Amino acid sequence: MLVIFEGTSQVETTVRAVLADILGLSADRVAAFTPDTPLFGALPELDSMAVASVLTELEDRLGILIEDDEIDGEMLETFGALVTFAAGKALV
Amino acid sequence: MMSGLRFDTYDWTGGREAMLRFGPDTGPIVIAALPLFEEANRTRQFACTILRALVGHGIASVLPDFPGTGESEVATVEARLSDQRRAYTDLSQHLGTRSYALSIRSGALLDVDADVAGRWHLAPQTGGNLVRDLERTRATGKSARAPEGEYAGNHVSLDMLDELRGATPRDDGRYRVVRLDTDPRPSDATYAGAPLWRRSEPDNDVVLAQHLADDISYWIASCEG
Repeated sequence: MLVIFEGTSQVETTVRAVLADILGLSADRVAAFTPDTPLFGALPELDSMAVASVLTELEDRLGILIEDDEIDGEMLETFGALVTFAAGKALV
Repeated sequence: MMSGLRFDTYDWTGGREAMLRFGPDTGPIVIAALPLFEEANRTRQFACTILRALVGHGIASVLPDFPGTGESEVATVEARLSDQRRAYTDLSQHLGTRSYALSIRSGALLDVDADVAGRWHLAPQTGGNLVRDLERTRATGKSARAPEGEYAGNHVSLDMLDELRGATPRDDGRYRVVRLDTDPRPSDATYAGAPLWRRSEPDNDVVLAQHLADDISYWIASCEG
C-alpha cells in the first residue's frame, strides 16, 4: 500500500474528518477548529477510549504507525498539535 | 412468509445460542457476524438495519450470538475463537448450501472454516490488528487502572488473545470485500460513510445500510446466477 500526501493541508483535512467521524461532531464544528483549539480535556466526546479510536483511525487513513509509547497528552492538547504529530508521521 | 424479526436458537457442538432471524423461510440466507468485543455494541443496530433492508430484496438472514458474545451463557472470559468458528460452521451447515457470510470487521475471523456459498466482508480486520486495538485501548485508559485481562470492560483470556493474534480473514472462493471510501486498502467497492465501529457513542447510518444491502443483494444474485 502506497499512500502519497501532498502536504500538511491534506493531513489537516484528514485529522478534521477523523475527529468528526469518530467523535460524532458536526462538519461545521470541526471546520471551525483552529491550531489553538483545545482537544483532550476540552472535548467531552474525547475520552480515553475515543483517543485510541482516533489514533487508530488516523493510522488507517494516513497509512502510518503510531507506537503506544508515543502517545502523550501533549500531542492531543490542541488541534494544531495533533496535526503536527500526524504530519510528522505521514510526510516522510 | 415475508416477515420481520423472529427470535430463534441454534445448536452447535458445544451448546445452544440465540439468534435473530429476518425475512423469508426460503432462498439464500445471510449469516451476519458482528465484530468481537466493544465494536459489536457499536455495529449491532447498523447490522440489523442492513438485514431489514435485505428483507426488502427478498433475502433472509440470521444474526447469531456466538459462544461468549451477546446473550450467550458462555462468559466473555471463556470465549475462544476456535469455539466461535465451530459454532459458525455448525450453524452454516444447518442453514444449508445457500448460506452466505456477511461479516463486519473482526466478525470476518469467524467464517473461515464454514463451507458457505460466498463471503462478503465489510472493512475486515485481522486478529493481529484487533489485539493491537485492545492493547491500545488499555494503554490510553491506564488511568482507570483496568485489571489484568480487561479491555474496555471486556474480560479477555490469554488463550483467546493467542488465538486472535495469528487469525486472518479468509479471502478465497466467492469473495467480496467492501470498505468505506476513507479506507485506502484494496477493496472490490467503496461507499461513503463514517466508521460506526469506532464511534465513541453508538450511532446508525440508514443510507449506508441501504447501499450495502443493495450491494449484497446484487452480489448474491451474481453468485447464484
